[in-house]
Amino acid sequence: MIVAALAFYLFSIVAIIAALNVIFQKNPVHSVLWLILTFFNAAGLFVLLGAEFVAMILVVVYVGAVAVLFLFVVMMLDINITMMREGFIKYLPVGALVGGILFVELAIVFGSWAMSPQSEALRSAPVPEGISNTEALGNILYTQYFYLFQGAGIVLLVAMVGSIVLTLRRRPGVRKQDISVQNNRRVQDTLEVVKVPVGKGLAS
Amino acid sequence: MDGLLKEYLPILIFIGIAFGLALVIVVASLIAGPSRPDPEKTSVYECGFEAFDDSRGKFDVRFYLVSILFIIFDLEVAFLFPWAVSLGNIGLFGFWSMMLFLGVLTIGFIYEWKKGALEWE
Amino acid sequence: MTIGLGHYLTVSAILFTLGIFGIFLNRKNLIVILMSVELMLLSVNINLVAFSSFLNDLAGQVFTMLVLTVAAAEAAIGLAIVVVFYRNRRSIEVEDINQMRG
Repeated sequence: MIVAALAFYLFSIVAIIAALNVIFQKNPVHSVLWLILTFFNAAGLFVLLGAEFVAMILVVVYVGAVAVLFLFVVMMLDINITMMREGFIKYLPVGALVGGILFVELAIVFGSWAMSPQSEALRSAPVPEGISNTEALGNILYTQYFYLFQGAGIVLLVAMVGSIVLTLRRRPGVRKQDISVQNNRRVQDTLEVVKVPVGKGLAS
Repeated sequence: MDGLLKEYLPILIFIGIAFGLALVIVVASLIAGPSRPDPEKTSVYECGFEAFDDSRGKFDVRFYLVSILFIIFDLEVAFLFPWAVSLGNIGLFGFWSMMLFLGVLTIGFIYEWKKGALEWE
Repeated sequence: MTIGLGHYLTVSAILFTLGIFGIFLNRKNLIVILMSVELMLLSVNINLVAFSSFLNDLAGQVFTMLVLTVAAAEAAIGLAIVVVFYRNRRSIEVEDINQMRG
């Protein structure tokens, strides 16, 4: 159990240091790389909590896709890095104030919080014994949480349609191959056999 | 939960060894490698020219669309894993629940196909 | 030295505070603000999974999956907006986004 405690402190301290670096890096590319480190350590915390499947999904979806998307956008817009720090000092006090107040509030809430005696009975999906985390999730995700699952599908659909509407634009002057039009052309529409009389030409 | 963590202990040890080895290699090459920089050695070298502009090239927006579509279908596959594991327990309702989910995303797929978001001009 | 629920809640509270802090500090770069929002969603996920684990209730992990979905969709749409905004204004500063102010 001592190893688990040490692993917890390792993961959480590295995650917090990485999150600090996400905020304070000058170069947005470095921020993305620190964000990836934060996600890895959060996945480690999830494994310690016994949520294996969510941990692996965190690595696959966040590190594999979302962080890469951020990197793409950072590379796509070429931003003046030196300008990025302007106003940093100006907003430092108010940011620290709001962050500090929020943290104190959270500490007060968590500090005085206690588990209600009814909470055991109020659980909506108790963890079953003897099956893996992934299977237990699968047993409830598609049936008990049907509406939420379909809502996730709708959210993904909206994200897909929205990003296409926002970023796709037609470039004028680009010729594209349209295979069905090519295949549907008939000889009669495009080709005409003309008998040219000798010495007269087509004009007459 | 202890048994689960015991199964992950080798991975933790492995990560530790990997980080340790990387650190040893970097530090050892810093210490053991000769380092005698002079202005000519440390200057930027690009085929004999001075560098023309920033090394950070700009990406085209079309890469971005492809990566967004990758994220969406990545999540779709992530939802497929627990479904595949527990298909025997959740019955016909679970099966059709997933089919509806896939159908909704297929609508999006048809939309992007028709809009030409997948074409590379 | 056992790790209780309070330890995990502390970590998630610190990450959430850092996310808020990042939104205030990086006024010149919308992308870093979006990254801060991702940090806050991550801290929410840690909270959900911690409660799920200590209460032995799987609902928290189901909600974590949904939060992940929403976070990915938010990143996709948010970054698309940033790209379109940059295309129109050549800038991604927060101060420049006042076109729609009434």
